[in-house]
Amino acid sequence: MSADPTEYAIEVEGLVNAVGRGQVLHQNLNLKVRRDEVITLIGGSGSGKTQLLRVILGLKHPVAGSVRVFSVSWYDPSLKKVRDARRRMGTLFQNGALFSALTVFDNVAFPLRERGGVSEKKIRAIVHAKLAEVELAPHQGTLLPANLSGGMVKRVALARALALAPDLLILDEPTAGLDPDRSERFVQLIKRLRADHRFAVFMVTHDRDTLYALTDRVAVLGDRHIIACGTQEEVRKLPHPFVQSFFGGERGRALAQGEAAA
Amino acid sequence: MRRAVCSRAMIARDAELAVETVENDPVPTRIRASGEWTFAGLKTRREEILRTLDDLRRIPPSRVAWDLTPIADLDDIGALWLARALRGVGQLEASVQQREILDRVAQGSRERIAMEHPIDPYAPVVAIGEAALHFGAHLRDATALLGRVVLEAGALARRPRDTPLRELSASVYRAGVAALPVTMLVGFLVGIVLTYLSALQLKRYGADLLVINIVGVGVVRELGPMLASIIAAGRSGSAMTAQLGVMRVTEEIEALQVMGVSIITRLVLPKVIALAIALPLVAFCTDLAALAGALLVSRFTLGIPPQAFLEALPRAVEPVNFWIGIGKSGAFGFAVAFVACHYGLKVLPNTDSLAAGVTRSVVASITCVIILDAIFAIVLRNVG
Repeated sequence: MSADPTEYAIEVEGLVNAVGRGQVLHQNLNLKVRRDEVITLIGGSGSGKTQLLRVILGLKHPVAGSVRVFSVSWYDPSLKKVRDARRRMGTLFQNGALFSALTVFDNVAFPLRERGGVSEKKIRAIVHAKLAEVELAPHQGTLLPANLSGGMVKRVALARALALAPDLLILDEPTAGLDPDRSERFVQLIKRLRADHRFAVFMVTHDRDTLYALTDRVAVLGDRHIIACGTQEEVRKLPHPFVQSFFGGERGRALAQGEAAA
Repeated sequence: MRRAVCSRAMIARDAELAVETVENDPVPTRIRASGEWTFAGLKTRREEILRTLDDLRRIPPSRVAWDLTPIADLDDIGALWLARALRGVGQLEASVQQREILDRVAQGSRERIAMEHPIDPYAPVVAIGEAALHFGAHLRDATALLGRVVLEAGALARRPRDTPLRELSASVYRAGVAALPVTMLVGFLVGIVLTYLSALQLKRYGADLLVINIVGVGVVRELGPMLASIIAAGRSGSAMTAQLGVMRVTEEIEALQVMGVSIITRLVLPKVIALAIALPLVAFCTDLAALAGALLVSRFTLGIPPQAFLEALPRAVEPVNFWIGIGKSGAFGFAVAFVACHYGLKVLPNTDSLAAGVTRSVVASITCVIILDAIFAIVLRNVG
């Protein structure tokens, strides 16, 4: 919010990433996410989307190249800088990754308590506001994650990811495992929250509906690097087989036309 | 198609084979298969059908004609049986669907991927080498973890406000107070057994009173800490490994890391410090229980009155032995929790790895405790 608008949310430069015994997964991969855009990463199965996400999240050490989030490398010697960058970023894991020992309320309150400097009374107010934002009633705050449905887990996880009012939201398959109706509502929820808070979004998805509804730019991962990064219209013209099969299906075309007409 | 639907609605009809021989025909043997050639349909008459199929194999396949069209239902098992019998057959009548299933199954039985590895004469050597490399990797990772624990502990010492007190006190309660009944019971029983055995031997030499020396020093210096830490390894160590392992499986560890929360400060340090605090206290209670057992047995088998036992105890056991025991328990507690956390953090996100991790954690922490004990025994041999 106070950040300068030319700053990039994510910068990946010359990334080389390997799995197992030196099997190279990414080679000279470059990707930049602007401060105010929604960018979606797509790619065939096994192309290393999840691995790229793990590197960006700092869960995996790349072999070479640099990853910076808000111009800070995760391996920066200044722990304070790293922590501040971490707090400007919210992550929604595919399966929610809620703390199973904590209630819904405590899960959402966790990042706030961890940051400190706010009284418990204010934390309570913020948590209830966040729960209301993702359409959960206050009394549901006492539930444990094991008692939640799949859709609720995602919404609680989203509330937790948004607890610190992040400038960047990272979504891993936000609609996977939700039925079409629920995933549509989830997409609308993210759209609405984004209209209110203007955070950047970096997401990985297979779901074309999510893609059409949310994305400003699409990044295509294939042949070990980002083969294209641009608007949907630009990417769609690419003669790469994966892009053609991803956008080319009957369903995809119909949806795209529907979107254009709307 | 309709027939198949009908037959499924009816009670399953068994598979049947009808063999007919026509004289003066280039293809004299005619076989009609009917009924349900499925796992269920083949069950009742499998012996009979197998025998028939075996018999048929003796006839040259070019002189056999098969008709599969009356078959109501065909699944992979039925197709597999038929595919073997049908190899090289001259005439075959079957629906398109049936042919597809047969082709697929025939294809499947031709696939010979190297499922079984060829026997490698160097396998044992390779296994030993790999075990050594694994062990080396564990040592390296454990050293790295120890370094991080020390660094983060130092950082916490500078900013004590960040100490996760709630986790710490919860861990002390779980590993300490909750473990008392079991540990004290075991201590009490071991005290009884040890005293009884020593008493039997000492009685022969008339050195009854020496039992207080033997049991006193043994319990306070060795058995109390050892019992406490072995039970802690089984109770708390396994629980710690399992907890961290499950957090890995559910991605909670990743969630914490992504939030910028230190795993070491938040999860490892509280456990390690808590067990290092709790175990000396547990060992103290175990000592008491074991000595109570000893007191009881000496009263009833050796006739030493309790007052005499309690008076002789401080003379027989120098206080330094007690402090050695307590100090050792602290070190054991640290070691058990540290090993448990090390294995917990190494769990991969699958159930097999979780189970293996917990097993290894318990075995390794008990081994670790015994090795440490041996080191203490050598270093402190001239003390007490």
